[in-house]
Amino acid sequence: MAHLSINGLHMYYGDAHAVRGVDLEVPDDQFTVFVGPSGCGKSTMLRAIAGLEDIGAGTIAIDGEVMNDIRPRDRNVAMVFQNYALYPYMNVFDNIGFGLRARKFDKQEIGRRVHEAAQMLGLEDYLDRMPRQLSGGQRQRVAIGRAIVRNARLFLFDEPLSNLDAQLRDDMRAEIKRLHQEIRQTMVYVTHDQIEAMTLGDRIVLLRDGLVEQEGTPFELYDQPATKFVASFIGSPRMNFIPVELVGDPGAPAVRFDADTQLALPSPGGGRYDAHIGRELLLGVRPEHMRHTREDGTRPGVEVLTVLVDLVQPTGSRVYASFALAGTEVMAELEARDVPSVGDRLEMLVDMNRAILIDPDTERTL
Amino acid sequence: MTTRDTAAGSAAPPGWGRRLELLADRKFRYLLIVPTVFLLLSVTVFPAIYTLIVSFQDITLMAEDRSFHGLMNYQRLLEDSRFWWSLVHTVGFLLAALALQFVLGLLMALLFVEWMPGRQVFITLLVLPTVISPIVAGSAWRIMYEHQYGPISQIIGWLAELDNPVLWTADPTFVYPAILLAEVWQWTPFMFLLLLAALVNVDKSQVESAEIDGSTYWRTFWYIVFPAIRPVVAVALLIRSLDLFRVFDKVWILTQGGPGTMTELISIYIYKVGFQQFQTSYAAAMTFVVIILLTAVVVLALRRMGVSP
Amino acid sequence: MSGTTPSRAAGPAGFAGRKPWWQRDRTRRMAGRLIAVAFLLLFFLFPIYWLFVISIKTPDEIYSSPPVWIPDGFHLDAYIALFEDGDVQAIWNSLLVASVSTVLALLFGTMCAYSLARYRTGGIHLGLWIISQRMIPPIAIVFPVFLLYVMVGWVDTYRGLIVLYTTFNVPYVIWMMRGYILDIPLELEQSALVDGCNHWQVFVKVVFPMVRSGLFATAVFTFIFAWNDFVFALIVTRDAVTTFPVQITHYFGAQSTFWSKISAMSVLGTLPVMIAVGLLQRFLVRGMTMGAIKG
Repeated sequence: MAHLSINGLHMYYGDAHAVRGVDLEVPDDQFTVFVGPSGCGKSTMLRAIAGLEDIGAGTIAIDGEVMNDIRPRDRNVAMVFQNYALYPYMNVFDNIGFGLRARKFDKQEIGRRVHEAAQMLGLEDYLDRMPRQLSGGQRQRVAIGRAIVRNARLFLFDEPLSNLDAQLRDDMRAEIKRLHQEIRQTMVYVTHDQIEAMTLGDRIVLLRDGLVEQEGTPFELYDQPATKFVASFIGSPRMNFIPVELVGDPGAPAVRFDADTQLALPSPGGGRYDAHIGRELLLGVRPEHMRHTREDGTRPGVEVLTVLVDLVQPTGSRVYASFALAGTEVMAELEARDVPSVGDRLEMLVDMNRAILIDPDTERTL
Repeated sequence: MTTRDTAAGSAAPPGWGRRLELLADRKFRYLLIVPTVFLLLSVTVFPAIYTLIVSFQDITLMAEDRSFHGLMNYQRLLEDSRFWWSLVHTVGFLLAALALQFVLGLLMALLFVEWMPGRQVFITLLVLPTVISPIVAGSAWRIMYEHQYGPISQIIGWLAELDNPVLWTADPTFVYPAILLAEVWQWTPFMFLLLLAALVNVDKSQVESAEIDGSTYWRTFWYIVFPAIRPVVAVALLIRSLDLFRVFDKVWILTQGGPGTMTELISIYIYKVGFQQFQTSYAAAMTFVVIILLTAVVVLALRRMGVSP
Repeated sequence: MSGTTPSRAAGPAGFAGRKPWWQRDRTRRMAGRLIAVAFLLLFFLFPIYWLFVISIKTPDEIYSSPPVWIPDGFHLDAYIALFEDGDVQAIWNSLLVASVSTVLALLFGTMCAYSLARYRTGGIHLGLWIISQRMIPPIAIVFPVFLLYVMVGWVDTYRGLIVLYTTFNVPYVIWMMRGYILDIPLELEQSALVDGCNHWQVFVKVVFPMVRSGLFATAVFTFIFAWNDFVFALIVTRDAVTTFPVQITHYFGAQSTFWSKISAMSVLGTLPVMIAVGLLQRFLVRGMTMGAIKG
């Protein structure tokens, strides 16, 4: 259990300004995920927390104690690397126990802890195998074992699942989640995969170009994205962005797609849309909020839109139908049994309660 | 390799064409190795056999007796203490030089693993002793060892008081350190370069992981870095051992094998017997024994490293 | 990554009120390392400096005790003597012999390397046999070769020495070039074959250009080996063909030693090598370690 505080952090990677002023609080015992596209600074920041990188300016503090000048081995953190970083010339037992041997624990204690960790991870039968005899998933578990055996106060994961194939990744994801439930320690996890972030994190920090774009619970980022970037990064398939004109009266706004099409918009509290009436904005609607069934027809905020399907992509459990609207391609998610054909005219139910409006100049959500 | 190439202009029907191509294929690949094999056979294998024959004869400066004398020369070899001493000298010299070069080379490599300003320039400069001719190197140290006007004596004079100037290349006590120093000076950079390249290729995340886990510098080195560079170390030691066995140039310039026969390494002894005393057959026998010895060592070493001939 | 931009890793000096001890430790370590490097440079470069500096000293300076560390000026008498006495012929001989043998070794060796790399000719046995040739010390080769040369009358001839150097260098070339050839993607050659080239054309037009830089690097080290060699030259040549290492040994007499000449000839014999190494720093590791490590 450890509370991590990052204040005004700046970091440089060669000449590049990798982290440009990040302020962050990672709460005790929570599973926090740093997520973002390549080059956003997430790995760099993680390595700074571990002490493997130099800090340009700012502080990193664990439990109130500033860590900037303290060497990695004295920080009491544990780290799981992307390529597992197992020691190839030692067997699994020695790999896991390496840190304990380095800190001069006695043999009995080492044995006890290693066996405990091995049991938790299902590795008891592999203790005398060498790393090269293990599969990718097993190696990753050994790396995790090495981290948990030291009872560190902070756990760092640097894209640990990126080297595994898809099926294995799903399994290991569940294992890591289960691990956090069992040993409730503060964990910071870095990934570029938003699905991993959403499923694993208690809190998500979305980074972009060295700055925090948004932080919050997974649902907050999904349902109330602060910027267009967050809205498009989170959620798969991607959110649709349609250029519209905000029309109507204060308190009763509507979005107009073209001369004939117009949909009413539920007015948010405080009338914050009112000031923008008459402007060209972007409407953000997720594919899963556009349906073809008739069940929700009478809910307030749900509008009907007639569209011409021009592309159909079935996936087995769902069908993605694309159509043109206001000059852009829009994708909607339909039930599998509702497979339309190209050229069909469909009546789409759009849940405008879940739609967002984005100011195209600032790219922020209104 | 490929079987579907179309020899330009081939008008033969498909069946024939394919067979022709395969023939050309085989001819081509053997043609390529002909010059090499021819050279190696005629310049190394054939002379070696010829040497063996000569070693069974009795050819000296005076007489050229080409009749078969059996193992006469080899018998003489067994009783020749000077020969065996030269082997002892050579092996002793080899072990000492190897150990020094390895340790010094390793320390240097560890020094250069991380970045420092001017790193590449320093490395290139430090490699210079290895690329100059051993004769030049030997000459340089010979001049430096000059007791009257050489800088070594001067430098030693600053550090300690010596009543009589030391004749580094003639004094029995100091002659081995002298040639060792010259040899280590010239070839440590080779070890250094090799070990540096190996160190740089060690997986960095393993080292970082060890650091986070609490390991100290030397512990990390011993348990993680060293096992990773061991294959390279083995190759380096083998190559250098073979090179050290044949040292001639430097020692020739510095001491000519003296004082007396103290620094008479095997290659010097063979040279003297063959080209100063002109006991051709006897030298041939010695050469052959050396070839056998070295081949055995190489085969053993390779087998140990996991490459079986 | 560690220590790349020390000027920017400034730490919060103001925040904690004192200079971080870890930062001081790092600067101190770097300073220590640089001092060690300075000592190493001194140790490894001094003998070379000393030998060179003798070539421009006056005889008084050479034989003075205590020794003169930095000479007064450039006295080129030694060099002039070398040119006037015709000793420079040795440099020319070395150049000729080393160049020709290098070219031949590259040619034969690359051809053989291609055969080994792409066709696995002779399997592992041929490869091992070739490598073992490199491991035999010259003294074991040179004596038999000398006997052979006596038989065919090649002692003290250019061709004798050239053939010897070529033969001794070919294994090295094969070992190196095999690595470089294997680095080329096979698809390039295959597409050339499909396009209608025969094997020779593929070798000359596709493979050779692609391994150009590897050829370069190997050429330098092959040349250096032949250039620096003494044992072969000593035994296989007499008066007609003298290479510069042998020439140097002529200056060591029982009575007197011509240090100036030794020194000047050494300089002439070392400069080319230094220049070559300076130009090809990139290939240093791979070339010197016989491809054991890919730089």
